[in-house]
Amino acid sequence: MKKLVSVSASSFLTLVMLSACSDNGSEEAASSDQGEWSPTNNLEFVAPAGAGGGWDTTARMAAQAFEEADIVDVGIGVINREGGGGAVGWSYIANQAGDPHYLFAASPPLLLIPLNGQSEYSYEDFTPIANVIADFGAFAVRDDAPWQDLNELFEDMQDESSSITVVGESAPGSMDHVQFVNIAKAAGIDPGSITYVSAQDGSAMTNLLNGSVDVYSTGVTETIEQVRAGEVRVLAVTAEERLEGDTVEDYPTAIEQGIDEVFVNWRGFFGPPEMTEEEIDYYVNAFTELNESPEWAEVRERYSWDEYFMVGDEYEQFLEEQNEEMRQLLEELDLYGESE
Amino acid sequence: MIDFGGILSGLQMALSLEGILFVFVGVFVGTFIGLMPGLGPISAIAIMIPMTYNMDPTIALVMMAGVYYGAIFGGSTSSILLNAPGVAGTVATSFDGYPMAQQGKAGKALAIAAIAAFIGGTVSVVFLMLFAPVLSSVAIQFGPPEYFALMLLGLTAIASLSSGSTIKALMSALLGIMIVTIGIDAQTGTVRFTFGSANLLEGIDFLVIALGIFALAEVCALIINRQKTTFNAKTIGSLKITKEDFKEMVGPMSRQSVLGFIIGVLPGAGATIASFIGYTTEKRFAKNPDEFGKGSIKGLTAPETANNAATSGAFVPLLSLGIPGSGTTAVMLGALLVLNVQPGPLLMTENPTLFWGVIMSMYIGNIFLLILNLPLIPYISKILAIPRPMLISLVVVFCIIGVYSISFSIFDLYVLLAFGVIGYLMRMFQFPAAPFILAFILGGMLEQSFRQAMTISGNDVSIFISNPLAATLLALAAVSFLFPLWQSYRNKKKSNQTLSM
Repeated sequence: MKKLVSVSASSFLTLVMLSACSDNGSEEAASSDQGEWSPTNNLEFVAPAGAGGGWDTTARMAAQAFEEADIVDVGIGVINREGGGGAVGWSYIANQAGDPHYLFAASPPLLLIPLNGQSEYSYEDFTPIANVIADFGAFAVRDDAPWQDLNELFEDMQDESSSITVVGESAPGSMDHVQFVNIAKAAGIDPGSITYVSAQDGSAMTNLLNGSVDVYSTGVTETIEQVRAGEVRVLAVTAEERLEGDTVEDYPTAIEQGIDEVFVNWRGFFGPPEMTEEEIDYYVNAFTELNESPEWAEVRERYSWDEYFMVGDEYEQFLEEQNEEMRQLLEELDLYGESE
Repeated sequence: MIDFGGILSGLQMALSLEGILFVFVGVFVGTFIGLMPGLGPISAIAIMIPMTYNMDPTIALVMMAGVYYGAIFGGSTSSILLNAPGVAGTVATSFDGYPMAQQGKAGKALAIAAIAAFIGGTVSVVFLMLFAPVLSSVAIQFGPPEYFALMLLGLTAIASLSSGSTIKALMSALLGIMIVTIGIDAQTGTVRFTFGSANLLEGIDFLVIALGIFALAEVCALIINRQKTTFNAKTIGSLKITKEDFKEMVGPMSRQSVLGFIIGVLPGAGATIASFIGYTTEKRFAKNPDEFGKGSIKGLTAPETANNAATSGAFVPLLSLGIPGSGTTAVMLGALLVLNVQPGPLLMTENPTLFWGVIMSMYIGNIFLLILNLPLIPYISKILAIPRPMLISLVVVFCIIGVYSISFSIFDLYVLLAFGVIGYLMRMFQFPAAPFILAFILGGMLEQSFRQAMTISGNDVSIFISNPLAATLLALAAVSFLFPLWQSYRNKKKSNQTLSM
C-alpha cells in the first residue's frame, strides 16, 4: 500500500515538475572555443500538438530511441504544447531563440498553417535539423462504394452534379485536405470544386462508415484495421511505390493508376532560431547516428514509417520546393492567407 | 451473441495477480489525479505511457482504463467539497454536491456520490459486456445531422437549469455559445475572435472556464461575503444514507446508468455531456424541481451515475471499432499502438483476452474504487476543517496548477482569472452559471455538426428531416422546448382559477 502511494505520488510530482521545468529559461549554452558543442542541460522535444498524434509519437519515439541507443548523454523530456494546429508550440520555440536545447517535431502543417495565415512564424523562422521519416496519405471508401479505383472516383467527381464529399481530420487547407486536392488536381479536377468536410472530433471514420460522406482522406495506418475487417477499401496511397507490410502492400499508388503525383508526409526535427553551426553539427551527427541505429529501425517498422533522411542543404531545398508547391495549391483553393 | 470463452479468458486475466495489482494502481492514480482540480485523466495517462513500454498490452490497457474511470470517480470529491471540479465530467456534480457540503452534509454527499458512481460504473459495464458488439453498429449511425439534433435536444434543457429568470438563463447560454466560437473554425480554417493572439487559436479550454466560473467565483464570494457566512461547513455530518435517501437515489441511478452509457457510446459525446444531460433530465422529471441546486439528493445522484456510466460507454467504439470517441480514449489508442496493438473491428475475435480482460477488470476496478473511496471520506472531508483563509488559498493554488498543467500557458492563467471575475459578477447579478457551461459544452458540436451536415447536403436543410433518427431527435427537442411553456401556462390558468374561486 505504502509503495503504491509513493508510485502515484511520484507520478503526480513528475507532472508538477514537468510543468515547473518547462518554463525555466535554460542557461546560455556553453559553446567551447574548439568549435565543438554538446548539450549542457537536458533536452526538450516539443510536440506542438496533443498526446497521441503524429508529432507526439515522432517526438516520443525519437527521444526513446536516442536514450536506448545511448546517442545523447543528457536526458530528453517530451512536452506537448498544443494549440492552433501547431502555432502555439511554434511561438513557444521562437521564444527560445538561441537556446539549442529545444527541438520540435514537424511535418507539412509547418508549411501549411503559416501559408493559411494562421501562424506568425513560418518554417523559415526555425532551424531545420534533420528529416527522419515519411509516411503517406490514403484515400478510403466504404467497401460497398461504387468506385473500384481512383480514376472511377475522379471521373464521377468531374461530373458537375456530383455530390461526392471528402472527409478528413484536419482543418481545410491542412494535411488531409491538401493531400487529396494535390492528387485530384493532377487528375484534372478543379481544386475548388472538391467538397471537403472537416471532422476534428475524431468522427471522420464513423462518418465514412455510416455513409454521411464518400471518401476519407487520412494516413495509411488509420485505414489498416478497417480494411482488414472488410469495412473499407483504399483506392490509392500517395506514395511513389507500393508500401511494404501486410495489408498495405495491397494498396495501389496513384502513380500506377496513371496519376503522376505523390504527397509525402515528411517528419523531421527543427530547432529554435539563431542556432550556431556547431550546435547544428552536433544534432546532425546525433540524428545521423539515430537514423542508422537498430533501435530506430525497429520503431520505423512498428509504425510502418519509411526512412526519409535529409539534413543540411538537401533538407532546406526540399522544404523550399514543398513550400512553393503548397502555396500554389492553397492559392487555388483560395485558402492562402498572408501571415502578418 | 455472447462469447463465453472470451469472457472467461478475460475474467481469468482480470483476476490474475497482475491484473488485480494494475487495476488497483490505475484506479488509485485515477482517484488521486481526479481529486486535483484541473489535472485530468488525459495528462495522467500521457504520463503513464512510458511506464507501459514492455508491459503486456492487456495489463497496460487495464491500468489506463482504471486511471480514466478512477479520475471521474475521484473528481466528484473536489466538486463537492470545494466547488472546484476535479475533472470536466464532474462539473455538474458541484451543482448539488457543494450546497450539500455547505449545509454540513459533506459526508453524506460524498457517500451518495461514491455509491451513485459505483452503480453507474458497474451497471454500465454489464451493458458493455452484453451489448458492445451490437451497440457499435448503433454508435456509427450517428452522423452530423443526428449530432446536431442531439445537441439541440441537450440545449433545450437550458430553461430547466434556471431557477429564476428565463431571460437571464438565455443570456447566460448565449454568452456560452459566443465564447465557444473563439479560435480556428474547423470548417473553413478561419480565425475567429482571437484578436491576433496565438494563445486563443485553439479556443478556451473547458476546464479553465469551469474552474474560473465555479471555483474562483466561489472563492471571491467567500472572501467578499466573509461576514455573512453563517452555515457551518466544518461539520462533515454523518455518512449514513437513510432509507428515504436511498429511495430518492434509486430512480436517478437506474435511469442515468442507461442514459449515461448510451451517451458515452456516441463518439464525441462522453462523460461531461452525459453528466449535464443526466442532471437536466432528472430535474425535468423530479416532483420538486425547485430543490435542484440547493442540495438535492437526486441532483447529486444523477450526474454522478451518468458520468461514470459514460466512461464505460466510451470503450464501446474504442474496443469494438478502434474509433476513439474522446480525448482520453484517443490517448489510450496511441499508447496501444506503441505496444503493437491496433484496435479495430477485428480486435474482439483476434485478441479476445484483451477485449474481455479490460471489460472484466472494470468490475474489479469499480469495487476497488468503492472500498477505496468510502472509508476515505472522513479523512478527505477534513479538508473542510482547514481554517477558511488557508483553504481559500489552497483552492486558488490548485486551480492555478490545474490550469497550467493543461496547456503550460501563462496566458490561460489570465483567462482563468477573467472567468473568476465574470463568474462572480454573474452571481452578483443573479445570472445562472449552469446554462453558460451547458451552452459552451454543446455549442461547439452544435455548430460544427450543423455546418458539416449543410456541406454534405449542399446547403439543403431537408437533410435534418429526411433522416428518421435526426427527425425523431428534433421532434423530441421541440417537445422538450414547448412542454415547460405549456406547463407554466397551465399552472397560471390553474392559479387564476383558484383565485377566482
